Amino acid sequence: MDRAQSDALWGRLRTRFGAARHERMQALGHDRIEERREGSWVFDEQGKRYLDCDGSGGIFNLGRRPAEIVAEAKRALRETDQGNFPMVSWEKAELARRLADFTPSGLECTVFSVMRGEALDFACKLARGSTGRTQLLTVDGGWYGETGFALTLSDRPDRERFGPLIPDVGTIAFHDVSAACDAVTTRTAAVVVEVVQAENNARMLPEGMLEALRRRCDRVGALLVVDETQTGFGRTGRRFACEHASVVPDVLVLGEALGAGVFPIAATVFTQKVNAFLNSHPLIHLSTFGGSDLGCRVGLAALTVYERERPWVNAARAGSTIRQRLSEVVSQHGRAVSVRGKGLLLSLDLETAQRADRFCRVLSEHGVLASPGMVARRSVVLRPSLLIGDEEIETLEQAVEAALISNAASKV
Amino acid sequence: MRGTQSAGGVVPSDGDRITGEQKAAIEETFGRHVNRGQVRYLKAGHLDVLESRRQGIRFVDPVTGRQMIDCFTSAGCFNVGRHNPVVVAALEEALDSLDMGSAALTSTHQVALADKLAEIAPGDLSRVLFAAGGGDAVDGAIKLARAATGRTGIVSTVKAYHGHTGFALSANGKPHYRHYFEPLMPAFSFVPFNDLEAMRQVVGDHTAAILVEPVQGEAGIFPGERAYLEVLRSLCDERGALLVFDEVQTGFGRTGKMFACEHVGVVPDIMTVAKALGGGLFPNAAILYRDVEPMRSFVESNPNFHRSMVGGSDVGCRVSLRVIEYIEQEDLCGNAARMGGKLRAALEQLMGENPKIIRAVRGIGMMVGIEYIHEFLGPMMSDALAKRGVFAAYSGNAPQVMRFMLPITANTEEVDEVIAAIRGAIADMRRLLPLALPAAKLPFGLRLLNDERVQTSLFGAFRKVEDMFGGKER
Repeated sequence: MDRAQSDALWGRLRTRFGAARHERMQALGHDRIEERREGSWVFDEQGKRYLDCDGSGGIFNLGRRPAEIVAEAKRALRETDQGNFPMVSWEKAELARRLADFTPSGLECTVFSVMRGEALDFACKLARGSTGRTQLLTVDGGWYGETGFALTLSDRPDRERFGPLIPDVGTIAFHDVSAACDAVTTRTAAVVVEVVQAENNARMLPEGMLEALRRRCDRVGALLVVDETQTGFGRTGRRFACEHASVVPDVLVLGEALGAGVFPIAATVFTQKVNAFLNSHPLIHLSTFGGSDLGCRVGLAALTVYERERPWVNAARAGSTIRQRLSEVVSQHGRAVSVRGKGLLLSLDLETAQRADRFCRVLSEHGVLASPGMVARRSVVLRPSLLIGDEEIETLEQAVEAALISNAASKV
Repeated sequence: MRGTQSAGGVVPSDGDRITGEQKAAIEETFGRHVNRGQVRYLKAGHLDVLESRRQGIRFVDPVTGRQMIDCFTSAGCFNVGRHNPVVVAALEEALDSLDMGSAALTSTHQVALADKLAEIAPGDLSRVLFAAGGGDAVDGAIKLARAATGRTGIVSTVKAYHGHTGFALSANGKPHYRHYFEPLMPAFSFVPFNDLEAMRQVVGDHTAAILVEPVQGEAGIFPGERAYLEVLRSLCDERGALLVFDEVQTGFGRTGKMFACEHVGVVPDIMTVAKALGGGLFPNAAILYRDVEPMRSFVESNPNFHRSMVGGSDVGCRVSLRVIEYIEQEDLCGNAARMGGKLRAALEQLMGENPKIIRAVRGIGMMVGIEYIHEFLGPMMSDALAKRGVFAAYSGNAPQVMRFMLPITANTEEVDEVIAAIRGAIADMRRLLPLALPAAKLPFGLRLLNDERVQTSLFGAFRKVEDMFGGKER
């Protein structure tokens, strides 16, 4: 694509999506037209290569266009389509069965969605419906998505512009385990948490908090909902992040990593006990695109790859290598920048949003695609493919070093 | 994935040939890992059929080998037909080089679809925001309306259907879908559809938006009257509210025009589209809006107010673009108007002949509904139609209403086939009514007949009686 063509495309983009979208992309060095994509990498209209550490919020755990999954998508395409959504199909039944095997023991039932926010909204509805209670609690600093319930639970400064939002939703203090537990009572339908707050500088739940919440929920009959949209499918070095604490939630929210970036599909997985509510109220929550037969076939292929490749093993290893090497690099460049995270969900704290934006821009110049956190705008999140090797780690290290030098040289 | 599934799987060796035993295993697995109640519910309504060989307006029940004409089309997703080869080819080609794409970047595919949507959209709807599905699009539309106007009130309509995510559900006009999940968002109000006076009374300077389906779909197919939609437009203009049309079900030719609001020439400020945009293959959705204040300023200062990681995906945009081109090239809008008109005329004639069975026939284009006199006729008709090779679903919580939303590719012979099947099924009902009606007149009889749990066992008995009467004809 030549310069005139790309300029024309940016002009059209500004007309359709607004100039501000383009300007925001420029500020982050994301004003690139995506063309080829393969494995850990994407290529822009100039043929320049980038290590994809944005991953659309953690969709591409198996890299871009994993061959086996693309091949199965094509095979399935010759045989089927999305299907009529209320009907039974072997594809839905089989993927739900396989998810019961794949997720922590006791989680046996699935409702499919097309996207993460929808899966989270459904989890909240399920909690209210099955407990007959209305209160939903979360901790501060979370980010669950853009749809109604998800937005209400998210720590987002402009949230109330869209309100009034869902009533009877409360936020409990993140750091105080005992205060958090006290807040959960017999009128609580569910506590909704992320184990690692990806968009909030990879903040991890305090030690012992998930276990304490589990016990408290059991005591008062509330449900524990864990959103693993970004941490699931191996991202933190275990299959699911809740396994680090050996806690099994009542409801597990899975994001689009289920479709491996090939097909949009997400899921809410929960216990038989919770499903009693849906069994007596079938089709009370519908999703036209959720549980598409084609999508289920892609999800089945993805699960096969996840089970065989066990990418969480590499995520743990590569993640600790990167954290160590980045920490070393950081220590050599004046200004203090913290490196946090677990597995291949990493975050750098740049102190201000302005610095975080510029950091992303310099990373992009040096061939790494990354975005600031949605909650902690001063942070930069790194979530590459879980299958990365030495070449990717090298690229990342060099780009981060260049960005650190630029950051240290800058007054603001 | 074939051959690699773990023990206990229900992957058929040939999805086109499934035995009754295999079907039972699939249902058992679905019941255990998805929803047992749903399996029971579908069985009660005689909708417990699997779909194989999806092609054109039909699929084949892989157990019986019976061809079924799809009159439900996933509530209006299969406008271009099941497994349309042209759209399949576009998806296959897209899969050769693309994936969903980086949400952080853009692509020629995304911009091309945005341009195409703006080109076919009514009036000056020229701005685009992609979403993952209909509910997500409605959530985004309500967020846009509230934040842009700085107001809170959303006026929706009784029986409206907008989806199941938080904002969309709050705007849902059917208590059935809301009840167990309340309290939902405050400042949503509901007025009867097509009732101008009721609308005038609630829309005020606190109103951010009026949200309506130009044709109420799930409610039972009620087209918005011209005067009604026109006045909604002027009411919004007078009172500084935004007009939002939910065209998720009515869009892309379903009603005989590309969008239903074109029938009356009313352009909304915001319009949501989904379903058929994905060609029945790959999910995609969008919010279209006018490049005017107060939306312009809000979006320019909040470009990422409703981000989607999977809406407007590269693969999805390639597919959607091909879907729209196909609808245009084949004049599917014109076909929907002609074939839908033919279907409706035939059903109106049937209504005249069967006043004790059909209460009303409504519709526009290939979005046609029958309202039966009794609720229990919905499931009975589903069954009678299925036996005659027509798959038609009744509305979940209004079982007396049945929607006929064939692929808009249907030709004259295919529509004739559907009409003949409906005629035959109505004849079956005429034979069954003398049995059902006395039962309905007993104390509590009608309530029992209308109870889905009672129907499960009762319809089994009805079916046997029906076979005794009708068996010789088939």
